[in-house]
Amino acid sequence: MKKLLASLVLMGTTQLAAAQGTSLYLFNWNDYIAEEAVAAFEQSCHCQLVQDYYSSTEEMMAKLQAGASGYDVVVPSQNAVQALVKQGALAPLDKGALPNLKNIDPAFLDRGYDPGNGYSVPYAFTTTLIGYNESELGKLGIDAADWSVIFDPMVLEKIKGKVTVMDDAQELFGAALKYLGYSVNDHDEKHLREAQQVIRTAKPYWAAFNSSSYIKELTVGNIWVAHGYSSDMVQAQADAAAAGRHFTINFALPRQGAVLALDNLVIPKSAKNKALAHQFLNFMMDGKHAAGVTNEVGAGNPNAAATAFISEEIKAQTAIFPDPATLALLEPLEESSPKVRRLLNKLWTEIKIR
Amino acid sequence: MRRKTWRRQLLTLPPTGYLLLFFAVPSIIMLFASFRYAGEYGGLAPWYYYEAGEFSLDLTLENWQRLFESEIYLLLFLKSIGYALLTSLLCILLGYPLALMIARRPKRQRDLLLLLVILPFWSNFLVRIYAWMIIFSPAGALTQMVNGLLGLFGLGPVTLMYSTTAVIVTLVYVHLPFMVLPLYANLEKQSPALLDAAQDLGANSWRRFWHVTWPLSLPGIYAGSILVFIPVLGMFAIPDLLGGTDSIMIANVIKQQFVESRDWPFGSVLSMVMTVAAVLVVLLGARLARQGVARG
Amino acid sequence: MASPSTRGSLALTLSAYAVYAFLYLPLLIVVAYSFNDSRLNAEWVGFTFDWYHKLLHNQEMLKAAGNSLIIATVSAAIATVLGTLAGMALHQFRLRLLPGLVLAPIAMPDILMGVSLLLFFMLLNMSLGLLSIILAHITFCIGFVALSVQARISGIDKSLTEAARDLGATPWVCFRRITLPLLAPGILAGALMAFTLSIDDFVITFFVAGVGSSTLPLQIYSMVKIAVTPEVNAISTLLMVLTLALIMLVSRLSPAALRGS
Repeated sequence: MKKLLASLVLMGTTQLAAAQGTSLYLFNWNDYIAEEAVAAFEQSCHCQLVQDYYSSTEEMMAKLQAGASGYDVVVPSQNAVQALVKQGALAPLDKGALPNLKNIDPAFLDRGYDPGNGYSVPYAFTTTLIGYNESELGKLGIDAADWSVIFDPMVLEKIKGKVTVMDDAQELFGAALKYLGYSVNDHDEKHLREAQQVIRTAKPYWAAFNSSSYIKELTVGNIWVAHGYSSDMVQAQADAAAAGRHFTINFALPRQGAVLALDNLVIPKSAKNKALAHQFLNFMMDGKHAAGVTNEVGAGNPNAAATAFISEEIKAQTAIFPDPATLALLEPLEESSPKVRRLLNKLWTEIKIR
Repeated sequence: MRRKTWRRQLLTLPPTGYLLLFFAVPSIIMLFASFRYAGEYGGLAPWYYYEAGEFSLDLTLENWQRLFESEIYLLLFLKSIGYALLTSLLCILLGYPLALMIARRPKRQRDLLLLLVILPFWSNFLVRIYAWMIIFSPAGALTQMVNGLLGLFGLGPVTLMYSTTAVIVTLVYVHLPFMVLPLYANLEKQSPALLDAAQDLGANSWRRFWHVTWPLSLPGIYAGSILVFIPVLGMFAIPDLLGGTDSIMIANVIKQQFVESRDWPFGSVLSMVMTVAAVLVVLLGARLARQGVARG
Repeated sequence: MASPSTRGSLALTLSAYAVYAFLYLPLLIVVAYSFNDSRLNAEWVGFTFDWYHKLLHNQEMLKAAGNSLIIATVSAAIATVLGTLAGMALHQFRLRLLPGLVLAPIAMPDILMGVSLLLFFMLLNMSLGLLSIILAHITFCIGFVALSVQARISGIDKSLTEAARDLGATPWVCFRRITLPLLAPGILAGALMAFTLSIDDFVITFFVAGVGSSTLPLQIYSMVKIAVTPEVNAISTLLMVLTLALIMLVSRLSPAALRGS
């Protein structure tokens, strides 16, 4: 035991020394990069990829705001890109260093949040939907493709304490607004208060607010319904199958519509190693490496060149690769004004406390 | 004489300077921040403007007004205080027999028994929380056993994970040594002669405890309660990891303002209120302990 | 036939042992599951060293361990110097400011120190990282070292230093030859306590950590939050062994320091 401890300590310090040579600091969503791609990149650049994780946009923004400078690459969603550009927090991209940009599907380029892609390149997209235990919900005859499964007390009565929702004001309010038939970007105070009421009514039936461990909870069988990202649900499904559980996990896009998040790779102005960061961006836009985030992580892919490397099975799932009919239901979140943010924060704090 | 002043400065200045800079100054900054506006993207907005040669302050009472405009924050404080009180009470209940048993053992055994109380306290705080996450998980042995028992009486299964019960049990577990140590220190000092005298006067063991040991141990109980109460009041990790949708405490909301909501001024307001609460508790406890000593 | 008194003390002993079980069972479960050959911490499947093996190859964990060691060593060293000065000052002089300053960081809830230091570092425009963590850790360690040193000083016989002075020793020689050796166990105990507290701290570090400065507790927190794997059990077990060793050392050097905390 002592030897083990000593070697741990030793390796820790030597590791650190090695890391200070060349490292790329990546601030990423948890479970949002293919391990294969990490290994391939580390080999090609003779450097180490060091990751820190966040589980909500707000958490990432707060950490950057609080002076977390030194990340070389961050993975913000479209609304956060807009805010970061406005803050002047991002370094302009050197397109000359990014020849693989041609691989990106033009439909995902030059969008309103970053015209001309001066600061960001699309990486992957997810929808926020419902992951559920197919076996248990089948027995109860509950339809998971509807937001009522997390908001309607009549439905929740049957699955009380088996539901988690995201610990993220924007996502949860987005879902509640959709349930009420409004846009996810509806910032009318009256509508937001209605959404707050919906959330409050449903809250006693939920087990917890959870943005980070619902993959595990679904896999183990502790939770039957989880509100979360599509990529996570794909992983939960695979994990449960791999562990040989006696039930199956599935996911469904609620018919009222949902939030679409287009995540991008950006380089903060404070990045210490911008050349390496560009190298990383270009590497991740290579078709083969780009496919990993879909095959291994289960996220949608904006990279046209990746299509050839993506398994047919995944391509067929409309919750991951929405067809035009599904796409019409999805809405990206927009950056809200400070006034709306303050209101949302207040409503959210009230929900958490009561 | 001059040499003495010089020595005094040498000993006193470095630690005083360091603690002033890194403890007192940040606290004052926090008080000041509670009167400022939140920045557009989080952080803090500038507190003054200097335009066209005119200097204007940009401070506000808004954040403090928010505290009072609805009763929910008051209720949250009361709830957190309630959790802290309940935890202290349960710690007394569990810690008293332990401290008493140790104090009544021969001197040589005491150090070892005491060390055994402190040891778990030195293992990482998150590890101790994690242990209970394993125990409370629905697939875990405890939950299975409890539900098996409840099933015998025809009662429905309960989930322990993500519940207030889980939060309280873990709070007690993590803070128990804070209660045992001062209690033991107090009980150890009590003279056995007093108990012998009481026995000679014909008091049975229960009466001896109730009329001699217990009143004398009150200062230890007050000290232990403060040591438990204050860290519980500032706890966010336990409700975060084990709590359900309604087990949130005041520290969770403070953390939320700083880490997720990017509303630092309101977070500072809540922190100031917590500071005041903690100071009041310390003063109250110190006063009770003094009275207890005086009476004893 | 047991008398009421022995029956009472039997009940007392039994309930005390029950509390010991309450203290140790959860930790034993953590240790046991670190050798369990299953990803889910539920049923016992079989014995394995896999999780320790995985741990030794977990780059992020090793880096966090390295960070924790650097932070704990540096902040314990500086806090020991400042804390020793403070402890001696508290013993020798009647001071107005210092006693409060030494005790307040110990008495206040950790979260308050965490958020106020975050505000402070922001105001200084300091980027968060190892330095900000070290500065914060020194702040809360000083008090513990000071108390440990103070406890030791009050046990020292004053006549020793007076005798040395009478024999013509300068204050510096007197300090180096008499006071310091006598104080050494108290200082060392304080230093080890500071080291342990620093390596253990989660709450304050949570607020003042920055890029690439994740410490072991932060790493454990994010692992526990995202997915519970037996790797956490393995690192927990190793940490327990490490702290156990440190505590044994402290209790050898100065049993009083342990109780003082």
